[in-house]
Amino acid sequence: MNATDWKERLSAIRDSFSVSIGQKPAGDPEALELRFLGRKGELALLLRDLKDIPLEERKPLGALGNTAKQEMEAKLAELKGSAPAAAAAAVPGLDLTLPGMPFPKGSLHPLTHVMNRLAEAFLKLGFTMGDGPLIEDDYHNFEALNFPPFHPARDMQDTFYVDAKDAAGKFMLLRTHTSPVQIRSMERQEPPIRVFHTGRVFRSEAVDASHSFAFHQIEGLYVDKGVSMADLKWTADAFMKDLFGSAVKTRFNPSYFPFVEPGAEVDMSCVFCKSGTGRCPVCKGTGWLELMGAGMVHPNVLKGCKYDPEKWSGFAFGGGIERFAMLLYGISDMRMLYENDLRVLKQVQ
Amino acid sequence: MKILYSWLADFIENPPPPEELAAKLGRIGLKVEELRRTGVSFTGVCVGRIEKIDKHPNADKLALVDVNDGKAVMRVVCGAKNIAVGQHIPFAKVGAMLAEGELKKAKIRGVESEGMICSAGELGLEGYDNSGILVLAPETQLGSDAAALFPKADCVLEVEMLPNQGYCLSHYALARELSIFYGLKLKDSSVFQGEARGEAVPVEIKVPDLCPRYGAIVIKGVKGARTPEWMAARLRAMGANPKGNLLIDGSNYVMYELGQPTHCFDIAQLSGPKIIVRRALAGEMMKTLDGQALKLDPGMMVIADASKPVALAGVMGGAYSAVSDATEAILIESARFHPPTVRQAAKTTGIKSESSYRFERGTDPELPLKAARRLAGLILEAAPGASVEQITDNCPVKYQPPVVDVDPARINAILGTGIADSEIFACLKAFQPAVKDGKPWKFAAPSWRQDLETIQDVAEEVARYVGYDVIPSASAMPMLPSNVTPLWTAGSELKSTLASLGFSEVYNYDFVSARELKVCGLDPAAALEVKNPLSQDFQYMRPTLLAGLLKTLRYNLNRGRETVQLFESGTVYSRKDAGKAEEVYCSGLLYGDFPEGGSWRGGAEKADFYHLKGVMSRLFAGKGGFRCETARKAPAYFQPGLCLEMRLGANSAGYLGKLSRAAAQAADLKDDNILYFEIPLACVAQAGKTEFWQKIAKIKPVSAFPQNWRDLSIVLEEKHAWGDLERAFSGVQDLASARLVDVYKGKNIPAGCRSLSIRFTFSSMTGTLNDSEVGARMTAILDKLSKNFGAKLRA
Repeated sequence: MNATDWKERLSAIRDSFSVSIGQKPAGDPEALELRFLGRKGELALLLRDLKDIPLEERKPLGALGNTAKQEMEAKLAELKGSAPAAAAAAVPGLDLTLPGMPFPKGSLHPLTHVMNRLAEAFLKLGFTMGDGPLIEDDYHNFEALNFPPFHPARDMQDTFYVDAKDAAGKFMLLRTHTSPVQIRSMERQEPPIRVFHTGRVFRSEAVDASHSFAFHQIEGLYVDKGVSMADLKWTADAFMKDLFGSAVKTRFNPSYFPFVEPGAEVDMSCVFCKSGTGRCPVCKGTGWLELMGAGMVHPNVLKGCKYDPEKWSGFAFGGGIERFAMLLYGISDMRMLYENDLRVLKQVQ
Repeated sequence: MKILYSWLADFIENPPPPEELAAKLGRIGLKVEELRRTGVSFTGVCVGRIEKIDKHPNADKLALVDVNDGKAVMRVVCGAKNIAVGQHIPFAKVGAMLAEGELKKAKIRGVESEGMICSAGELGLEGYDNSGILVLAPETQLGSDAAALFPKADCVLEVEMLPNQGYCLSHYALARELSIFYGLKLKDSSVFQGEARGEAVPVEIKVPDLCPRYGAIVIKGVKGARTPEWMAARLRAMGANPKGNLLIDGSNYVMYELGQPTHCFDIAQLSGPKIIVRRALAGEMMKTLDGQALKLDPGMMVIADASKPVALAGVMGGAYSAVSDATEAILIESARFHPPTVRQAAKTTGIKSESSYRFERGTDPELPLKAARRLAGLILEAAPGASVEQITDNCPVKYQPPVVDVDPARINAILGTGIADSEIFACLKAFQPAVKDGKPWKFAAPSWRQDLETIQDVAEEVARYVGYDVIPSASAMPMLPSNVTPLWTAGSELKSTLASLGFSEVYNYDFVSARELKVCGLDPAAALEVKNPLSQDFQYMRPTLLAGLLKTLRYNLNRGRETVQLFESGTVYSRKDAGKAEEVYCSGLLYGDFPEGGSWRGGAEKADFYHLKGVMSRLFAGKGGFRCETARKAPAYFQPGLCLEMRLGANSAGYLGKLSRAAAQAADLKDDNILYFEIPLACVAQAGKTEFWQKIAKIKPVSAFPQNWRDLSIVLEEKHAWGDLERAFSGVQDLASARLVDVYKGKNIPAGCRSLSIRFTFSSMTGTLNDSEVGARMTAILDKLSKNFGAKLRA
């Protein structure tokens, strides 16, 4: 046998394989495998005949034979894989489209989801979780945070009082922000400290689409040697990127909170803008979303917690959970979060 | 605060356009929340009268109109339907600048038009009927500028003011900010520069710490001083309501312009020549300008004459020294008051005025006399017969600015920046031209910035000066350990398991009403009360999460839902001595079918106690030492006898059971089948206080040999609880499990008895148990059951 004959035989085997496998319904894949690829199959015999061909021509022929073998194997595997599904479709009286057995499906509240996610972002940045009471004394909620008595900054946070008294005999209040946890954490621990807290806060405000007398905040505090506003910017930026993706940009604007100096407001580039429209309802076309407050811990706050402000410096930043939740879930009325309508809640998974 | 662009522009040379100005203010922390254009800006439009209307020769819908502008009659093409001979109309001549641009000469359907009769829209007017031409009042002067009939083009900027921005509460102050941070050239306001004709007014300040400065100007001959229209227009744009009396309006005007509140007293109504600044006497009364009778106390400061208080200092003037149209002579007060004292008085009396707003935030110590002179100047301009008689500037405490040692390295350390020394120095200079070189720079804040006391305060101003964007985003923070709290872990675990068991988490408010407490069988008097609740619905701090859950249950049933599974995790409150206690609970309820809706094969059951017990067992699976016990002292809202106490080891883990009928009725339910549980999270978290690896139970080995099982049906008196039987099985050799498979009462079972079928499974670690070995163990079990519980084998 010479090389030309050998090639012709190979071509004939391939043709007859193609015909057999192309039949409808397709033939039994096992039988085809045996006939063509088996130990005594047509292709095996042909490959064995290579020994009669001169050595110098043998090599390219062998390669051709192997390629043909691989093609046939692939086609057979395909045929085997598709066969059972076709058979099953034919079982009479069985409607596989009937619903599956119901397993209970509850839900976590959207605010819980958001709080968990934000807490996770803080944990990844090495903040540890702190805690504090919801009914606070004036000292921790205001004075220690550099809101002196009769300071207009107190107007920013209309306060509920309860008929319980603190150790000094003053009426206690419902905390108006999560910041008292900064004070409680620093009172408990020597610097360096990196702590965050999330939870409920209260303000005596009328309820409307964007206000509630009970809502939630999250905030972080870091005090160490040589902490600067650049550290704050990096951290706030990393926090936002963790939540909204690495393409997000952050921007600081001057702002005021009594317990920080310098103070800033953290804007995030709007991720909800549809490109080219220029009329985004979320950022109102500004391209920026105001999401958090931030700043360098005020020296009066450090002093009050017996941290020497000449030696230690720090930053704090945080924001409202509802604001994040409304953006993420596309809610325009905050009241929806407290109505507890199961038709709404069950959509959240 | 509202800022008028035109007013701001009075104090800046070459002011940038409003949008640019708004952006500039925003970048230095003065957020412009709204920018609203007002008034008109058209030119070249005069008042004309329609003399004659003819048909257009080439168009049915057009007319040829003769318009008289007082000098000549011109022919115009017009398409409006509401034209009529004799109307006064805005007539735009060729070259006029209208809302959409310059008016050009035009030929319309073959006829040349010498101008245009304008609609409101073409003039850029909003709020007018725009369906035809704008018809003007018949008394308007032919040929006069039509623009003069409307307010001038302006822009109102609504600027958000933060509590520390007392130094920004006027037009001049904002212009000053712009000049400091953007180098815009500041113009001053023109004030009365002259001298008084007579001696200074005697002012006695008895409380110099509360009133460090008191300026006063006495003017005579002010009767009939009316507010000029330009001033009234500005005040209207500010949202103030001008009275027409310049003594009142001018005082407001100066406050909006310079930030210094002033007050005019009618001298004829003051007894004695002397002004006294003192604390109010206990029980002293004063009637305010707006007619309220105030009871004063010594925490308040008053301005008084020889006999009585005439003003609550910094807050509001008194009624009987108020100026009126009959006032002949006035005393202008322009003082500096102690901010906390003014605030306390405003809070106590409930009077919030523009004046107290500014004093609370701190006013410029150097401003009082300038403001008084400005007001005097405005009065003299409008009332030519008026004269300045007396001027006083009583300043018992001279203002000393705080001095900060500014080391540029410290500024850069705070900001994390590398700002050049020269730039930091330039910032200081912009604030205080007098600052001298030579480090550390001694920076004495200008008088209006008493708040610049520390290096951090100065750092913020430097950051505003260079722009916050200059601060890099860079950090090399060291690692610190981080973790969550045990309470958080416990709560998260319970919450996700409950959600996976079909319960939906809800968030209710922490406030409840007396009615809601009574429904739960709780005494409102025992609950913590809110001293200033928003309404009676929110009067108490919740002592249980149940009230909110019942409200939510009702809300959802009213919206057509039949099965409701809810839970909430939150704080509950109670009294503790004179103080309070807080505890975090995870509570929930189950009502309707379980599982919700069943399936097409059937299978949903009406939820009952055992469903909830199953949920609790699943919830605590794997938490060592969980069991349910008879409740010794259950909360009042459970039905007696239908409640169990849960325990984790030695601790109570709350209760589960059926709610009382009263609670069910409160939820407007036809039945009373509400299953409820409550778990104090601290108890679950306690298991989390030990390290996680200590909490993990070691895995027990399992037998390599086949297991055997036997069923046993017994009859025994009902009084014997399954829980007691279960305990009796402990210690039976090789017993792997005893599972209750059936409970039966009825036919063939004696009254007062029940039949229990139990499947016992045996497994030995050492071999396969044969029939007789299993039989021996079953005999032992039956013996024990008959001896302890009088159980008999069921026939």
